[in-house]
Amino acid sequence: MSLSAAIEVDHLTKIYKGSGTPAVDDISFTIPNSSIFGLLGPNGAGKTTTISVLCGLLSASTGKVTIAGLSAETQSSEIKKIIGVVPQDIALYPTLTAFENLRYIGNMYGLKGDSLKENINKHLDHFGLSQHAKKQVGSFSGGMKRRVNLIAGILHQPEILFLDEPTVGVDVQSRNVITEHLQVLNKGGMTIIYTSHLMEEAENLCTEIAIIDNGKIIAKGMPKVLIKENGSANLEQMFLKLTGKRLRD
Amino acid sequence: MLRLTSTIRKELLILFRDRGGLAILFLMPMAMITIMALIQDAPFRDYQELKIPLLLSNKDTSTLGRTIEEGLKTSKIFEITKTDKTDHELKQSVKGGDYEIGIIIPENATALMNEKVGHFVTEKLSAAGLGDSANSLVAAPSEDLDLIIFFAPDTKKSFKVSILSTLKQFTSKIETQTLLDYFTKELNQDGLEQPKTENKIDDLVNFKEVNTVESPEETLLLNSVQHNVPAWTIFGMFFIVISMAGSLIKERDDGSYTRVLTMPGSYATVMLGKITAYLFICMIQCVLMLMVGIYLLPLLGLPSLVIGNSVIAIAVVAFSCGLAATGYGILVGTLFTTHQQSSTFGAVSIVILAALGGIWVPVYVMPDSIRMLSEISPLYWSLSAFHKIFIGGGKLLDVLPYAGKLILFFLATIGIAWVFNRSKK
Ligand SMILES: Nc1ncnc2c1ncn2[C@@H]1O[C@H](COP(=O)(O)OP(=O)(O)O)[C@@H](O)[C@H]1O
Ligand SMILES: [Mg+2]
Repeated sequence: MSLSAAIEVDHLTKIYKGSGTPAVDDISFTIPNSSIFGLLGPNGAGKTTTISVLCGLLSASTGKVTIAGLSAETQSSEIKKIIGVVPQDIALYPTLTAFENLRYIGNMYGLKGDSLKENINKHLDHFGLSQHAKKQVGSFSGGMKRRVNLIAGILHQPEILFLDEPTVGVDVQSRNVITEHLQVLNKGGMTIIYTSHLMEEAENLCTEIAIIDNGKIIAKGMPKVLIKENGSANLEQMFLKLTGKRLRD
Repeated sequence: MLRLTSTIRKELLILFRDRGGLAILFLMPMAMITIMALIQDAPFRDYQELKIPLLLSNKDTSTLGRTIEEGLKTSKIFEITKTDKTDHELKQSVKGGDYEIGIIIPENATALMNEKVGHFVTEKLSAAGLGDSANSLVAAPSEDLDLIIFFAPDTKKSFKVSILSTLKQFTSKIETQTLLDYFTKELNQDGLEQPKTENKIDDLVNFKEVNTVESPEETLLLNSVQHNVPAWTIFGMFFIVISMAGSLIKERDDGSYTRVLTMPGSYATVMLGKITAYLFICMIQCVLMLMVGIYLLPLLGLPSLVIGNSVIAIAVVAFSCGLAATGYGILVGTLFTTHQQSSTFGAVSIVILAALGGIWVPVYVMPDSIRMLSEISPLYWSLSAFHKIFIGGGKLLDVLPYAGKLILFFLATIGIAWVFNRSKK
């Protein structure tokens, strides 16, 4: 195992119970330390399934996953301490305020007291939410919820951050502040794994990408290199060439 | 510890912000207690204080008439109306349903009885060769001594039998007394020693009434308040199942359950936090409902709730009842996938378990077949335990078996939920 790899995925297959076809079908890739890795694909490609196995929510049917040198199968409790997860769903309690939500999540990571309070306020401020700290999250717009959802995943400064479609359904301003912040965190050494179906965003943000379709990885590498090899003008064009124009469920 | 306390705090914050949920948890059982206690007040009193209306025409002013009348009065089963009506009029009153029973004691009842006894005694004595002479033999009475009794036309046979045997009790006592007096008198004429004490006969054999069923609800102390307050308190506590299952399903749907799974530490801690928070709500419910029974119901003209004298026993029962309710909530929230399903199933199942458990009507008025089913209802265990304390004056030891059952129920529900959850990953 190389020390420079944050994550190694080796012939991973995931078949859901009661389902005949694999959601993720024999995929392998390596994510270097301190990279921003984009796992890109159309709806139903297997992005969420892959991320769920990586952060220990699902167990692999076959294959091996190693996170920071730890086995996802047997050392998930150690892994949980060093990763942060920003789920695809807005997993916040709507009747709690932004501050209360974040305090609870911080507590769950063992953060507490004044330092947690400062930490939360600093983040709320950075994401333009200070004046909404005491409002219930249920009253927030989609973009505001996404921002709180992101803060929830990074309060404890994880080594590795997983984000599942963190910018889906948000306006350009919110998307911008989110992606900019991800770059700041990455400069600080955080490894970021991110899924999206927004090609332009991924092209600007990612240092590495893998394109997944029907549970299989069909391309992986640095975005610029891949686009060039493929002879496309941009990532979106390449993506359509590779995955076809068939509509997905 | 931090994970536990912050989970409890989070759950309580969410619960207290849910006005609708709070209304269901607190106002509904409060309203149920008050309404049901008021509605069932009269029926419960009837059940205890039911008196049979009896029309009595006592034409005999001597011993027999008086004794029977006294006996009827002291038995407290009858509501006696005395009348001078003719026999025919009396019969018509009972036939018309104004009275359940009519009794006529004829004018010469005492005299006739004395004659009968006299004849019987002298005959026996002379047959034994103890009689004085043939001319002291008392002649057999010319007519029979019949007390007349009428029953209302719709009276059940079993009821008639029991009333007749009650009446027989009064008459046989006086028969015996008279018989004994007569014997003594006759024998004394033969120059035997005069007994120094008066020959007052007491019942040689007494019937002592003992409750056949040990369950405390059969004791007379059970009134509408004693029944309904603990009953609807338990019902309200079990209704926490709806909000608890709802909360679990919501967290599963919106991904917060998943988020918690990505965090360090065991999920059991989070579950424990949730259970603790809901258990705390159950305890508040319980205290509030008992207060309603003690302080509010008397203001509405109902008797005040009597809670016995073991606060520890009450706390233990409330705690284990709350545990059973939260365990059931977790089970329902785990087995069902939508809020709709879980709240429907939760509510219906609790209403059924409540009905079986004697929450709506006490178990002892149910048919035997249903009564057996009551045994499977945790609401019945809880109610029995409360009755043991409130009515039977039970202490901690008396309620431990019930608390044990409730805790086992909790462990079983949690266990099933855990196995079900594991099989899904
Ligand atoms: N819990 C599940 N049970 C069965 N099949 C599932 C489950 N979750 C996802 N799938 C299926 O697995 C495939 C991949 O889904 P997912 O990983 O969510 O895709 P993506 O996140 O790329 O949109 C889809 O065909 C989806 O229907
Ligand atoms: Mg997805």
